Amino acid sequence: MSIQFKDLSVNIKNKDILKKVSLRAEDNRITGIIGPNGSGKSTLIKTFFSLISYQQGEIFLDNRNIKDMSSKEIARNVAYIGQDSSSMFDFTVEEIVKMGRFPHDSKTRNIDDIVYEALDTLKIRDFAKRNIRTLSGGERKLVYLARSIAQNTDSIILDEPTNHLDIKHQYMIMNYLKNCNKTILIVIHDINLALRFCDKIYMMKDGTVFQSGSVHEVFTEENIKSVFEVVGTINRDSKNDVFFTVER
Amino acid sequence: MNKRIFVLIILLLLSVVATISIGSANVPIHKVYTVLIDTLFNHKSNLGDLYTSSDFQIIWNIRLPRVMMGLIVGVGLSICGMAMQALLLNPIADPYILGVSSGASAGASLALLFPISILAGGYQVTAFAMIGALSSSFLVYSMAKIGSGGRIQPVSMLLSGMAVNAMMSAMTSFFIFIAKSNEGIAAVYNWQMGSIASAQWKTLLLPMLAVITAGVVFLIKGQSFHLLMAGEDEANALGLNVSRFRISMTLFIAFVIATLVSVTGIVGFVGLIIPHVTRMLCKSNNSKAVFIYCSILGGMFVMWADAAARGLFGAAEVPLGIITAFIGGPFFLYLMIKKNKKGGE
Repeated sequence: MSIQFKDLSVNIKNKDILKKVSLRAEDNRITGIIGPNGSGKSTLIKTFFSLISYQQGEIFLDNRNIKDMSSKEIARNVAYIGQDSSSMFDFTVEEIVKMGRFPHDSKTRNIDDIVYEALDTLKIRDFAKRNIRTLSGGERKLVYLARSIAQNTDSIILDEPTNHLDIKHQYMIMNYLKNCNKTILIVIHDINLALRFCDKIYMMKDGTVFQSGSVHEVFTEENIKSVFEVVGTINRDSKNDVFFTVER
Repeated sequence: MNKRIFVLIILLLLSVVATISIGSANVPIHKVYTVLIDTLFNHKSNLGDLYTSSDFQIIWNIRLPRVMMGLIVGVGLSICGMAMQALLLNPIADPYILGVSSGASAGASLALLFPISILAGGYQVTAFAMIGALSSSFLVYSMAKIGSGGRIQPVSMLLSGMAVNAMMSAMTSFFIFIAKSNEGIAAVYNWQMGSIASAQWKTLLLPMLAVITAGVVFLIKGQSFHLLMAGEDEANALGLNVSRFRISMTLFIAFVIATLVSVTGIVGFVGLIIPHVTRMLCKSNNSKAVFIYCSILGGMFVMWADAAARGLFGAAEVPLGIITAFIGGPFFLYLMIKKNKKGGE
């Protein structure tokens, strides 16, 4: 199920946050959005769920304008994992994952089965009865990922899911996304993770798309220098994998 | 969980019998039990034999409606408090803090001090309290919307609630200031301190209907409340229209609170304490059982607070609001200190 933003503009308090941004996330691919802080990445994906309103442009889900869809219908097709999914109230992991079933009105299967299947997929069944607030940041991200599995959508939009996570959790999440056969649209900060896992990259700067294409097309030393103001080198290791290092 | 609820229901029934026996006139518990059982199941067949008609009068027509009113008000305030905390994503919110009660108070004062003849008697106070509560919540909502620049932020809603609270309290004081009738002023003061002393069978109906409706609505919308409590953005992304839900529920709560406050005056802190006690007992928010806990504990709390109000100082009754605030105030401070010690989450 493809996700498409077409000429999207967002203005907040007389400031242009997004200027005619177009982006397309294809079926069964990981599409990454990368860019410096304040370049409009999170704003862009928040418009999809009406968390931020846009003044111009259109958003499509499989060629259907999302304005013609109810929020529950959208939620049946696309899951969202925000940057800081935390609550000041106490919930167990099981309860959080169960919330993924909210958009699905019909109760075709036992909800508990779906919840535990989702927890099993990420090997976190042991967390089920724990309070979400007692988990580490990485564990919590896995719980929200499990909720998106219980939500059973064709697409997932994620806002910096690997931030502040240790390397184990970063790879657990990215590996799941790579192998889940869903349309993934992900805001990501880590260039090397993006190089390794993304199929397509949109590099953003000052509310516009600076460059888009395959990781090799976008992640050039010149582009990184222009967008991030960082000088570095694109390297290849013995297995021909590409990685970026910042110059000392 | 079910076992605990069963125990709580038993405690609630025992509390009904025990609190009926408390008051200026001494009524032994066994007599309360006899009157209740005899009236409910034997159509008063033992009247004159096991108890006198004056016992019946005190137990069935004076104390029982009052205890029932305590139960209704306690349940209503607790579940509305719980709902308000969820709506504003703030564990220290309750309808009292949000200005709805002070709005109702201003309206009721107007009706008590400057009665007009369009509506008769107590209904005028109810109607004005409701208008006051709704205007107040509308003001809170509008100011919060302006303050947060479109999409309502819980913090700005709390702040505007406080501002409206101050405005409405000032309005009540102004009505008292310009009022001429000392009797009216005394009535307003009494009303503001909260009391269910005047409860009768006929005054139970309206609050009971409001609280039952609230219970049903909150149970039906339970999942939406939980979704919101787990995170506003996620709730939106999971298909809940948070803005619409917040507005409709705030207005609904205003209706319920207005109905309760118009009958009892301001009974503070119940909506704050009980949801917290419930959370401490349950360690979770997400189940119908928590809601039932909250209802039973709230009902029992007000029943016992009212028993203390009429039993602690002999013939002189302490207004209920004073008792609940005496317990609620320190508890509120305790929560703040505890939160601070945790590092101010």
